[in-house]
Amino acid sequence: MGQITATLGKTIKEFLRQKTILFWTIAWPILWVLIGSFSFAGNAPNEVIPYIRGSIAISMSVFALMTAGIANLPGNIAQDRERGLLSKLMSMPINPWKDFVGRLLALLAFSSLAAILVTLVGYICGARFSYTLTGFWQSIGFLLLISLASAGIGMLIGTFIKHVHGAIMSGVGIAVVTAALSGVMAPYSSLPWLLQQFARIYPISSGNSSITYLLVGEDYAGYNPLSTSQTTLTIITSLLLFIAGLIVYSRFCWRKE
Amino acid sequence: MIAIYTENLTKKYGDNNVLKEVNLKIEEGEFYALMGPNGSGKTTLASIMASVRSPTSGKIQIYGRKPEKAKELIGYVPQENFSSPILTGKENLMYFAGLLGYSRNKAERIVNELLNKIGLSEDANKKVSVYSGGMRKRLEVATALFPGIKVLILDEPTTGLDPSARRKFLGLIEELRKEKTTILLITHIGADAELASRVGLVDEGEIIAEDEPGRLKKMSGLKNVINIETTIKSEKVANVISNFSEKQKVLETDVGYRVYCKDVEEATPKIVRSLDAIGCKVTKIETEKPSLEDVFFKRTERMVREVS
Repeated sequence: MGQITATLGKTIKEFLRQKTILFWTIAWPILWVLIGSFSFAGNAPNEVIPYIRGSIAISMSVFALMTAGIANLPGNIAQDRERGLLSKLMSMPINPWKDFVGRLLALLAFSSLAAILVTLVGYICGARFSYTLTGFWQSIGFLLLISLASAGIGMLIGTFIKHVHGAIMSGVGIAVVTAALSGVMAPYSSLPWLLQQFARIYPISSGNSSITYLLVGEDYAGYNPLSTSQTTLTIITSLLLFIAGLIVYSRFCWRKE
Repeated sequence: MIAIYTENLTKKYGDNNVLKEVNLKIEEGEFYALMGPNGSGKTTLASIMASVRSPTSGKIQIYGRKPEKAKELIGYVPQENFSSPILTGKENLMYFAGLLGYSRNKAERIVNELLNKIGLSEDANKKVSVYSGGMRKRLEVATALFPGIKVLILDEPTTGLDPSARRKFLGLIEELRKEKTTILLITHIGADAELASRVGLVDEGEIIAEDEPGRLKKMSGLKNVINIETTIKSEKVANVISNFSEKQKVLETDVGYRVYCKDVEEATPKIVRSLDAIGCKVTKIETEKPSLEDVFFKRTERMVREVS
């Protein structure tokens, strides 16, 4: 066993055993898939409804990834700090980077599980997708970018908000509010102009639109998020958030006083 | 061989001098207790030794090396309960074994040995959230007992434990002492510090006295202490009692007061009568040998422990 495996195992067990985490990351998005699948189709023609359900399932899978990164990860970091585990780890011959990689892998594994479950429920509720094999793999790439961006925001919150409840509540708040404002929880076309601009800059939202575009179709994404400039922006902003979180976490969480 | 060595160790937070040129020499296999009130700097000193904080100036060595270069020799147990409550005791120890790079089979064997050593084998697969405070603290000490660790730094390990859990915990420390592990115990409880081979009294960032517990008491000049339990605790009561104490120093305890006087036989009935005169009943009065807390109070006029 190495340090990465040990941290991965511990973190994933903690994620899977905490009811609050399971609720916000898995139960809450599933609940919205159920509500959305049967309420938001409106007067749409029958042949369109499965794809509307498909876009709802994608959005809620993205929301699950957001919550995992933006709320669960900082909660986990703050918890370890508050109960003195970070002090204990600092006294041991271990590498902060490996601790970070272990946490990130746990987050990715847990997020994947959540996204699969949410998509599966969507499928059972009648969600259908239309995609190519290339499009499928590109979607996996965007899911990874969303996870990295969420983890970056999560590490920023976890580093600066010292208390567990503060970190979790801030994370949930930021996830819910930004999801609502950026079109993850509402169709892009229904957003006012200013929020549409935010949706294009906010990598989680543009990633969500890219996946919707690839797996359901342009009509459901509201715009073409796969243009070269937009894709570049999504990749750069995701990586910037991730790198910023990583630098801040390794500098400040593990800094000696 | 010297296990822990500090020379003029100083730590400042802005203008606040938390540690003031601390000089300390702890031999290999020694059980050393640092005793002082909250805020005296003892936790800061322990965390510098554990490489969690950096000193502002001065020298610190663990087996001749800087703390950050000697991490594999240090077993640090912070004051907080750092074990994960939603993992089992065994899972917590397996996590630490993994961090230290043991293979799964070796980790399993060492963890089982550690669980046996701390008396938690039967509860190994229970979640830590159902452990008592004493069980949880023993588990956390086990994280500092992996092979190769030579210096055990325990920060206030018995705080919050009930008397039975405390006795059991101190029994574990006695066992470790027999194995010649160097132990540094941070405490504000005199009875815990008395188990150590040497005690350093810390006050306002300085080690004000250091010796074997018996010698510290002897050097304090205290012979006997009157321990009084009263129905009322007030300033008026304390003032009455202080008239019978050396330099009018009276130590307030959870249930009454401790009085320092040369002739206890003569003073005892007078104290009872004086308290009776102001309507305060004495529920218990006895003569005791001085404790390390009395020694600390005699030197500093401050209490080691806050009275609840």
